[in-house]
Amino acid sequence: MTTESFEVNKLFEKWIQDGNTKLDEKDLVIQLKSYLESQHPEICGKCTPCRDGVVKIEKLLDKYVDGTATLKTLTELEELTYNLRSSRCSVGLDIGKNMEVILENNYNVLYQPVKKY
Amino acid sequence: MASITINGTKVKVKNGTTILNAAASIGIKIPTLCFIEEINEIGFCRICVVEVEGEQDLVSSCNTPIKSGMVIETDSKKVIKSRENTLQLLAANHRFDCWRCPKDGSCEFYDILKEYDILFEEFGPGIARKDDLIYGTGISQDLSKCILCKRCVAVCNNVVTAKVLKFRDDDGMNPFVSPTVGLEFDQTGCIFCGQCVKVCPTGTLFETDHIQMVEDMLKDENKTVVVQIAPSIQASIGEEFGFDVGTSTVGKLYNSLRLLGFNEFTDTSLGEDLVILEESVELKNRIEEGKTLPLFTSSCPSAVRYAELYQPEYLENISTSKSPHILQGAVIKNYYAPKYLNKKPSEVFVVSVMPCTAKKYEISRPELEVDGVRDVDAVLTVRELAKMIKRKGINFKKLSDDLPGSNLIEFSKATNESKSCLNETESILGAYSNLIDKKDLETIKYKVTYGDTVKLSEGIIKEATVIIGSKKLNIAIVHGGAAMKEMYHRLNNGKKIYHFIEFMGCPGGCLNGGGMPIEVDLPMHEVIKRRTIAMYVQNNEELPLRKPHENEAVLKTYEEFLKSPFSEEMLKYCHTHFTRKEYRNE
Ligand code: SF4
Ligand code: SF4
Ligand code: FES
Repeated sequence: MTTESFEVNKLFEKWIQDGNTKLDEKDLVIQLKSYLESQHPEICGKCTPCRDGVVKIEKLLDKYVDGTATLKTLTELEELTYNLRSSRCSVGLDIGKNMEVILENNYNVLYQPVKKY
Repeated sequence: MASITINGTKVKVKNGTTILNAAASIGIKIPTLCFIEEINEIGFCRICVVEVEGEQDLVSSCNTPIKSGMVIETDSKKVIKSRENTLQLLAANHRFDCWRCPKDGSCEFYDILKEYDILFEEFGPGIARKDDLIYGTGISQDLSKCILCKRCVAVCNNVVTAKVLKFRDDDGMNPFVSPTVGLEFDQTGCIFCGQCVKVCPTGTLFETDHIQMVEDMLKDENKTVVVQIAPSIQASIGEEFGFDVGTSTVGKLYNSLRLLGFNEFTDTSLGEDLVILEESVELKNRIEEGKTLPLFTSSCPSAVRYAELYQPEYLENISTSKSPHILQGAVIKNYYAPKYLNKKPSEVFVVSVMPCTAKKYEISRPELEVDGVRDVDAVLTVRELAKMIKRKGINFKKLSDDLPGSNLIEFSKATNESKSCLNETESILGAYSNLIDKKDLETIKYKVTYGDTVKLSEGIIKEATVIIGSKKLNIAIVHGGAAMKEMYHRLNNGKKIYHFIEFMGCPGGCLNGGGMPIEVDLPMHEVIKRRTIAMYVQNNEELPLRKPHENEAVLKTYEEFLKSPFSEEMLKYCHTHFTRKEYRNE
């Protein structure tokens, strides 16, 4: 595991223990992306939800970065995150669970920029 | 026995059964993509996931055994959503040009997308993972359609044992499946059996196209286009037009060939009979002169290439007779055309319709020509021929069952009142027995010494001992890559002396060839059984076996052209040679 991903994991511990940690959208998205990227070396490429799902989740986060995210983006983000529960091994399953915690705790941060009214 | 609950129904199943099979036992079909029973149970695609009470994650049903008391939901909201998402992910990395895809109507991936009515929100379908096109003379691969199910890899490695295709995951985020990177199939150890093409759920692996070439020739006024069909085609082409597996449609087949515009059409029985006689004489010569034994049959180009690649010390064993369709091609061009059509060999274009992808490779072998004219010019698989028939707007189902006449059929058909023999070995030994003992061979009783008759996927070795000319001959029939490997192992061991061996690359023989229609709903051995019945219905069980040495077409061909087995003409037109082939499998 790279040092970078180690730090990210630390960050997760904090998030998980302290459900109140709130980040602003920009920080959240950037930290999520760097977390996912840190997981690339672990991904073996064998199963669909993890191999292709993680890449797509990153692309969805990019939409937040460039301001093109919509409600659909958020829905798909949730779905692909939840779909990691059908992964073949703990790499995908863990990424999924971490992401779920983050989404639960920060849903509003991701919802604000895409809400319709 | 264990008791479980599936979708609210209590079921008793054997311990160790997978969830997939347990569900199937009560009539619930869980969708699968990467799964092939006993060959690929690796859980890669995650389409088959189900919900198990008490588990936080979804589990893949294809490779998870049941546990007593399990409560399983195969179509809960979560499950369906997950399948949809996974399908979206796969589809997002697949290039869709279905209308010109070689998989045509038999794409399992398409069917499942349709079944789940997949919609795209954020990611449209169709950005290829990779867009390399890997060429081969027999099969090719278009990586833009691969969904990484690894079925082909499992088959090539475990069933065929050629180990050509590999799952390359050095970069876990961008894995791909291919032969040795940077090489075409012909430079690898591929034997072009096409078994990978048959299991690929998409159009990634496909037979190299010869349709274009044939259609161009049919339009060329200066060419006489002759088509010859392997007998197994009549027992299988109906499947492509909605007939049940095991329906013989020989009349419709010939009528469609006529409508497609072929100038002449026939089957390959003349070539087969000439090969049978040639090989029986070759066997006799080798036994009498104490030359290299056992004699290997040379009809299957996959098996020949297997020896050239992997067992070059056995090249002397292979019969030098050309394979039936190649030999017949040479006879049509160099004898029938000049004599009966008043055409030069070079004005004739010969197309073979075969259950096989390896024969596409075979016609590219440089030595298979006479005086600079190729023996056979194109090879169509059953699937390709069906596509041509559809494209021409021919309503196959409506065609007449009566055989249309053709000069070439008249000329080449075996003496009418007989049925053709499916089994090459029996025909050759029968001819040999007639040669030595002047009598027919009794039914051969085989012992299966490898694999079994139901699980054809592993291939099979059958052995028998026959007595001809007061000499005991040990014979073997070897079908399938794994079985070939085992047979060579036995030969190297030298424990038993063999005299004659029939080698075929495909498990189940030609009726399960790589160019046959793709049947996903029936187990392979069942498909083969039904196709065998269709062959015999056509041939009528009651009729006597065909005897090549009594076949009038053969006798006429000897009289007017080839003289006799191993004559100078025969050696010029009907024999070939084999060379060691280099390869790289990495
Ligand atoms: S044609 Fe046969 S040998 Fe060649 S890659 Fe496919 S399965 Fe392997
Ligand atoms: S080539 Fe076909 S069988 Fe092989 S992994 Fe790709 S989709 Fe699956
Ligand atoms: S069919 Fe079970 S994971 Fe692919």
